[in-house]
Amino acid sequence: MRRSLVFFVLLVGMLLAFSALAFSADVSKGIKVGNAGAFTGDAAAPCMEIYNSAQIAVDEWNEKGGIKGVKIEQVMGDDALDPAQGVNVANKFVADSLIYGVVGPPMSHIAQATMKIYGAANLTCITTAASKPDLTDQGFKQFFRVNARNDAHGWNCALFIQRELKAKKVAVLNEKVAYCENIASETINGLKKLGVTDIMQDTIVAGAKDYSAVLTKVKAYGPDVLFFVATTAPDQAIGVRQAKELGIKAVFFGTEGARDKKDFIQASEGAAEGAYVYHFAPDVFAVPEAAGYVKKYEAKYGTISGFGPPAYEAMNILLTAISKAAADGNISREEVLKNVAETKGYKGILGFPVTFDKKGDLEGGATYFFKVAGKDFKQVAVMTGK
Amino acid sequence: MTQVRTFIFLRTSFMDFYWQQLPQQLVNGLTLGGVYALIAIGYTMVYGILFMLNFAHGEIYMIGGFVAWWVLYLLTGNNVPFVNAGVLIAFMILMAMGLPGVLGILIERFAYRPLRKAPRMNLLLSALGVSIFLQNLVLNFQGAKARSFAVASLIPEGLRVIQVGDVVISFMRILVIVVAFLLMALLTVMVKKTKVGKAMRATAQDIEAAAFMGIDTDRIIVLVFFIGSALGGAAGALVGLMFTQVDYYVGFQAGLKGFTAAVLGGIGNIRGAMLGGLILGLLESLATTFFPATYKDVVAFMVLILVLIFRPWGLMGEKIPEKV
Amino acid sequence: MQRDASEMSWVEKNRLILYAAAGTVLLFAPLVMPNNYWLRIYGTTGLWIMLALGLNVVAGFAGLLDMAYVAFFGIGAYVFALLSSGHFNIHLPFLLTLPLSALAAMGIGFALGSTSMRLKGDYLAIVTLAFAQIFRLLLLNLDRPINITGGVNGIYNLDPIRLFGFTIVSPVAYSYLIWIAAILVVIGCSRLKKSRYGRGWEAIREDELAAEAMGVNTTWMKLKAFAVGALIAGWTGAIFASFQDSVFPNNFDFPQLVIVYCMVILGGLGNVPGVILGAVFLSILPEFLREYGAYRMMTYGLILIVLMALRPQGIMGSFGFLSKAKKRPDKDETGVLRASTDLYYQEKEGDRTSGRKAFSKGDRVVLDIRGVTMNFGGIMAVNTLGFQVREREILSIIGPNGAGKTTLFNLISGIYPPSAGSIVYEGRRISGLKPHQVVKAGVARTFQNLRLFSSLSVLDNAKVGRFCRTKAGPLSIVFHLPLHNREEQETDRAVKEVLSLFGARLTGYRLGQQAMFLSYANRRRLEIARALSTNAKLLMLDEPSAGMNPQETEEMTRFIKHLRDQYGYTIIVIEHKLNVVRNISDKVLALDYGRKIAEGTYDEVANDKEVIEAYLGRKR
Repeated sequence: MRRSLVFFVLLVGMLLAFSALAFSADVSKGIKVGNAGAFTGDAAAPCMEIYNSAQIAVDEWNEKGGIKGVKIEQVMGDDALDPAQGVNVANKFVADSLIYGVVGPPMSHIAQATMKIYGAANLTCITTAASKPDLTDQGFKQFFRVNARNDAHGWNCALFIQRELKAKKVAVLNEKVAYCENIASETINGLKKLGVTDIMQDTIVAGAKDYSAVLTKVKAYGPDVLFFVATTAPDQAIGVRQAKELGIKAVFFGTEGARDKKDFIQASEGAAEGAYVYHFAPDVFAVPEAAGYVKKYEAKYGTISGFGPPAYEAMNILLTAISKAAADGNISREEVLKNVAETKGYKGILGFPVTFDKKGDLEGGATYFFKVAGKDFKQVAVMTGK
Repeated sequence: MTQVRTFIFLRTSFMDFYWQQLPQQLVNGLTLGGVYALIAIGYTMVYGILFMLNFAHGEIYMIGGFVAWWVLYLLTGNNVPFVNAGVLIAFMILMAMGLPGVLGILIERFAYRPLRKAPRMNLLLSALGVSIFLQNLVLNFQGAKARSFAVASLIPEGLRVIQVGDVVISFMRILVIVVAFLLMALLTVMVKKTKVGKAMRATAQDIEAAAFMGIDTDRIIVLVFFIGSALGGAAGALVGLMFTQVDYYVGFQAGLKGFTAAVLGGIGNIRGAMLGGLILGLLESLATTFFPATYKDVVAFMVLILVLIFRPWGLMGEKIPEKV
Repeated sequence: MQRDASEMSWVEKNRLILYAAAGTVLLFAPLVMPNNYWLRIYGTTGLWIMLALGLNVVAGFAGLLDMAYVAFFGIGAYVFALLSSGHFNIHLPFLLTLPLSALAAMGIGFALGSTSMRLKGDYLAIVTLAFAQIFRLLLLNLDRPINITGGVNGIYNLDPIRLFGFTIVSPVAYSYLIWIAAILVVIGCSRLKKSRYGRGWEAIREDELAAEAMGVNTTWMKLKAFAVGALIAGWTGAIFASFQDSVFPNNFDFPQLVIVYCMVILGGLGNVPGVILGAVFLSILPEFLREYGAYRMMTYGLILIVLMALRPQGIMGSFGFLSKAKKRPDKDETGVLRASTDLYYQEKEGDRTSGRKAFSKGDRVVLDIRGVTMNFGGIMAVNTLGFQVREREILSIIGPNGAGKTTLFNLISGIYPPSAGSIVYEGRRISGLKPHQVVKAGVARTFQNLRLFSSLSVLDNAKVGRFCRTKAGPLSIVFHLPLHNREEQETDRAVKEVLSLFGARLTGYRLGQQAMFLSYANRRRLEIARALSTNAKLLMLDEPSAGMNPQETEEMTRFIKHLRDQYGYTIIVIEHKLNVVRNISDKVLALDYGRKIAEGTYDEVANDKEVIEAYLGRKR
């Protein structure tokens, strides 16, 4: 009897406490920007880089007095790679009327799961890494990208492989995650269109540490180019190192994640020499406008990989749009959305002007290719899809 | 994709493609197997004495890897002159054995000892909790990014990779297999020939009787956990050196594979762990040769399930009837 | 089912009011939520409650560490997604896809269960964990060469649910759908718990061997637990898929498994209201602590460790410090302290045994042990043993420790088959049958070392014995069909009758008391009561008076005779106390080293030279 009584008391008490907290939402006026990403779990490192880079942008704006004297706050929304949680985060952001824009979600499958929610609320989302092509083909107006789509990238990579690397036989190894899977298939499609049909495709597991078995397969196949489509730099460092150890002669070609001096070049201890990587932006270290950001980030958080600069850029674009919308004293999400959509020739730190096309994609997305020379990356080509 | 595959299929040198790989894949399999064996030995030892599956073993292995990384980083990153690479590696492994060993003792004391008399399920759930706790502890304090070992500084260029004909094998991998065999031998000697080993075997057979015979069973259990965890930590350090990296997530998969190897060979049997590990590594390598690579894990897990269903006592274990 | 007003808790007495209150809250809750965010949390909580209750059936009731549970959740979700979307262009209505998804999950649950039922706890956990990993890998990889699962990109843009003219799209509508489904699951689980299924499962959890020996078909019941858990998970999965309007492999991974387990453990394994509480708590709390999200998984790990070490029964377990001062269970309702010897003397005065025997020993052979041998890998525990037991005979078996007496009992009750020879009961060969089949045939036993179901109440312990005499299935139980109602009533009546044989010791307030709190003697009595509830005709009592003081022993002696004289049982007793043996036995059998060394009346056996030697050694 007592047990049941205690149960009900606990249940009701809990519900009352929770509802009290729910209703006592913070009502002080303010300006907030959401950052949706997977801050815990496997993708924590790149997502934290995104968050920290965006925070640097926020801090810079706040130092200059914020927007109309109001300090801006970045709110973190962790989905831990789980779409169900991503939906919760989306709803939370939408429900908070002080949030006028969101940087993220960087994961394509989370972006897909939350598309309708953000769309219904006209809450702008600028993603820095979600690259599944059809995200912007579904007719939603609030979704923007400062990164390239997989189909654009894939096509450019195919061009590079066929034209610059002059490959006739290609091996593609990709992780079974959205980004890698899509890049790999787009590249393969592109290669086939370009007449390169001798292609081997197989899978690698992120964090598996030992790729010798599948690399041995590649060695037996004897390709000209090995396209190693993994997410993070450390994995690609292992890939290039083990490929070299096994004596694979093929040229190693990695992804955006590998454009990391420390975790790719340094970590491979020389094995990465002569390898190529692609990126959707020129080397951030070579862009003069980025120097300030680079210095700040490296001082506070360590080395930058490819994920940080677009986040800084995206946050700046968003804050610019919010600032413009706040000019008349009233901010509305629709206004912010309109301003972001109208972004033309925005000059930031990415090394090329940002303009969003009708669908929300980067206009004229180009892919930049780099070669590892010594301890650094050297840009060797730019493909624009032609 | 299918077209590409069929294309290869139809080539006259189809058999060549697979045949060519075989020697290297066998070597790959055996060296990977050495890794699994190393992890399995720690698992099997704890199970053999305490009849308990230490779910947290994988995380201890992971922490061993991190300890080795920190030792290396602290000692070489600061340009502290060190005697020679061999000593450095030995020291790394020793630290990677000692600290995780102590961790193992702490885990036993606080998470498992209160549950000695409790139903099995409670113990397993607690072990699961320890595993999750440790994994996320490291994630929070070390970040998600993998740490690289500056292996080049340790092994002279010429020795790093050894080539025998068309087959390539790295020095570290040989080291791993050698160490695995060494540890197995040492452990077997200890358990069979020393007094402490006898006490361990007695505790394994009948813990109450052993206590009545004057064996401090609590201390024996602590010792078993220490050794088991030390072995796990050593495995972590060696594998970290071998693959040149360690991150917070390696423990989960390693634990599962290590357990598979231990069960395959016969849980509780040290030589079985060695055998199970090698076989598992070979199976995975061969699976990768003939199927798309991600299915190799499916193969590994299928092996586990089949062994547990049809021959739960493993290859080298004995069927023990339960006395009621 | 009528029960004494004194047995019903406050909750049960005011049942209807509480249901009305809860119903009102649930009716208006979705309308009061401030925004979509909270509506979604409300809905998600409902889903978690269902998921946790399903796991509660497998892991809580039956004690099976099923680590593949979330995979069944995923199967339900993916089946729904495949049958209601543009993926394969199949667009089945909800009333069809919901049961199909649930049944698909259940089917696979059955399949997985049947492969692993023989495995012990640890191994079951690992096998199911491996299966869960395989499931995840299949979800990720079955998108080439044919796209079945959508791979990493998942399946999205599912068909909206159309039910009875309503299209369920808004969060409010979903809230109602989810919570109605949740209420159904809650009712189903509560009813299952208070039925023969619930008791059978909990018996398996407490002591699988004893459950089997009391007539519970443990293999089959474990399988059913697995399947029911999978069914509930699949059911929840289908609704979840629609709620999220998509399915991805990331939805059904290890972290989700950890969370459900934490919910169940927090609430207390097997405790339905507790698990609901645990689910609500762990569903809502993380939303408030979003800034500390990095520590979330760490906290779950800690919860598991700490709860298991300090409070394994969960937050809803027995609230020792809050319950009425029942610290001295020997006090009865009137507050009078009763020692067992009090009752003994009281009953001796009002001796119920009228002295007139209704039954006496007959001549027909009921149990025939023919040349039975039991070899334990070299140790011959029982060696070519042969004897017969006649109906309504009381046979005592004596012998030094290790003589093979308990092994004999184990052989008869079917715990293991004899290496050679056969055992025939009532003309039917029972050697080689499984223990629960032997019970069904009419042979029940008690254990030397007491194997009660510790956390079950006295009443439930005894009711487990009735498992093999009843046959209500899950459907009958969940829908309170006449078969179930009738059987429950009958069980209640029969068991109380059996318990009242022991006088006031096991009745009244004791009925609801957990077995672990009973005194030693009462535990022995309960074991016998449990065996009696199985409607057995042949009773095998293994040292029934062990550990009892002289008064208790005398009472037990009279009781055993009473059982035969008034009720006509055939009884085999293993005993060490020779005065007991002398008082009750029609025949005595002496064993040593697994062989029969003497058989006859007490006097014959007691004076047998070999028997004396076996006990006292040879005279030099």
